[in-house]
Amino acid sequence: MDLIDFPEMSRGASRALRQTVDGAFRDFARAYGETLEAIFAPIGHLLTFLETLMLDSPWTLVLAVICGLVAVMSRSWKITLGTALALLAIGYLGMWEDTMRTISMVVVCTVLAVAIGIPVGIAMARSDRLRGVVTPVLDLMQTMPSFVYLIPVVMIFGLGRVPGVIAVVVYAIPPMIRLTDLGIRQVRADLLEAADAFGSTSWQKLKDVQLPLALPTIMAGVNQTIMMSLAMVVVASMIGVRGLGQPVLQAINNQYFTLGVMNGLAIVAIAITFDRATQAYGKRLQKHLEAGHG
Amino acid sequence: MKHRLLAATSFLSAVAAAGSASADDCGQVTVAEMNWASAGVIAWVDRVILEEGYGCDVALVTGDTMPTFASMNERGEPDIAPELWVNAVREPLERATEEGRILLPVEVLSDGGVEGFWIPTWLAEREGIRTIHDALARPDLFPGADDPDRGAFFSCPAGWACQPITENQFAALGAEDLGFDLIDPGSAAALDGAIARAFNREEGWLGYYWGPTALLGRYDMTRLELGVEHDPEMWHGCTVVSDCPDPELTEWPRSEVFTAVTAGFAERGGVVMDYLSARSLGNDTLNAVLAWMDDNQATNEDGAWYFLENHPELWTEWVPEEVAERIHDAL
Repeated sequence: MDLIDFPEMSRGASRALRQTVDGAFRDFARAYGETLEAIFAPIGHLLTFLETLMLDSPWTLVLAVICGLVAVMSRSWKITLGTALALLAIGYLGMWEDTMRTISMVVVCTVLAVAIGIPVGIAMARSDRLRGVVTPVLDLMQTMPSFVYLIPVVMIFGLGRVPGVIAVVVYAIPPMIRLTDLGIRQVRADLLEAADAFGSTSWQKLKDVQLPLALPTIMAGVNQTIMMSLAMVVVASMIGVRGLGQPVLQAINNQYFTLGVMNGLAIVAIAITFDRATQAYGKRLQKHLEAGHG
Repeated sequence: MKHRLLAATSFLSAVAAAGSASADDCGQVTVAEMNWASAGVIAWVDRVILEEGYGCDVALVTGDTMPTFASMNERGEPDIAPELWVNAVREPLERATEEGRILLPVEVLSDGGVEGFWIPTWLAEREGIRTIHDALARPDLFPGADDPDRGAFFSCPAGWACQPITENQFAALGAEDLGFDLIDPGSAAALDGAIARAFNREEGWLGYYWGPTALLGRYDMTRLELGVEHDPEMWHGCTVVSDCPDPELTEWPRSEVFTAVTAGFAERGGVVMDYLSARSLGNDTLNAVLAWMDDNQATNEDGAWYFLENHPELWTEWVPEEVAERIHDAL
């Protein structure tokens, strides 16, 4: 036996294996493709609706609404002013439409990731067995190269927003789940005992003790989710999702340096805006609750 | 100090000279392996022949038409681009060849490449669609656009040389007013995925594609006639230029596909240049190899070995006897 080269399976067997799995997937796609598409169609419609809304409204209105939302969430004039300036620069440099598309996509993906991630994280925090099952799945979601599951997804859903949302959510949801689980598990045991001593139900404990105390960690999870959603924007553009990713892809392929940098900075600007607004909102949530305890 | 510097320099140059003297005739070669099947196979064929036959040390680097051409033009690397489609880089390439920076020893695809707008053959037969105008009259046959009432017209991926060409042809056809949306697939893989999906679901598909490719070998597609001749002036002045204001429809020129070699490599290449000047394949052979690769889930490397094993009558013409012997031994 040759000690250096690893004994591999024969080429014929390897080929047969790959062809069998491919064939099985193709049959699956043919049989269930339409049902899956129907299940995800509402997300596609929501995205289209939001995008059309943002693109077809007058830009002044959209700018005002975004800055207004940021102001309400953060109550900080600095962040609001920064947002306004960033958006004005983006619009002036010709990236307005792409930015609106990306913002609408990231908003939907972040909301989905948070809405699914927090309950899963809470469930994981309560059960070690569930955590044992879910953690490898999260590892897979974070490290599996996106194209590996994207091309099959394209074969089922076609090009466009729905596979893009799937790609972004799959990548962005693990930090949300992990940090929610971590935050809740880290709540001090004596506080939980005190809550029990006062006769709280499980739901009251969750709502009034665990979640508020875990909030800093959960907000870190939201921050990471937002960052990862935006990081996936370019990968999503490789399956035809429109937005800031497409000019970046064009810049990569054609070696247009400035185009790439400008669109990249627009992505960064959105990320920072989203992040500062949500973090400020998170801090205000905590202040509001702590004020009651004096 | 001066003596030490002199001694060091002469020692290093002696080592370098000894090193290069002991290296093989061609030494280190970088070959661009572009990310579509035909280019990948030819890159691996080159690698096997250069390594086994000529004793070179071959490194394959990934590439794409535009970045590889720019890199060869500006920095002189990689040394060889086996399959360069010259249609959209014609002007800068002409300048580069005139100034002697890049050489085109051979037309690697002797039949030339085939580019154009394709639809599935079963659809063409069922609906009697032969020209692009027939297809554009029926947006309902081509789903895939965001708006379900409009037809989907698939462009070539972002950043590819064919992107401005497809965009200008789309505008020239007035396809948007006829009810079509131009869809950028983003990558070759996504474009292939969209075609595969259309065939799986028995839906229509309309868009840009090219041959020789495994996909055309696997899915039966028909190239739509444009009904116009190739207009070189329109092509060079407008169709290949992004955002051309007034494009008119023109047929693709015969897509010439050359092997490109940097001037630096041509000088030190020696006998390898004879091989590169002879190496040329017909589309039929290539399509057959690609179809075999697709059926057998083979990699580019497998495809190269398959070609070498099954077509000795072709590749022995390209290399001298001793080299052919060495390659036969390696098989």
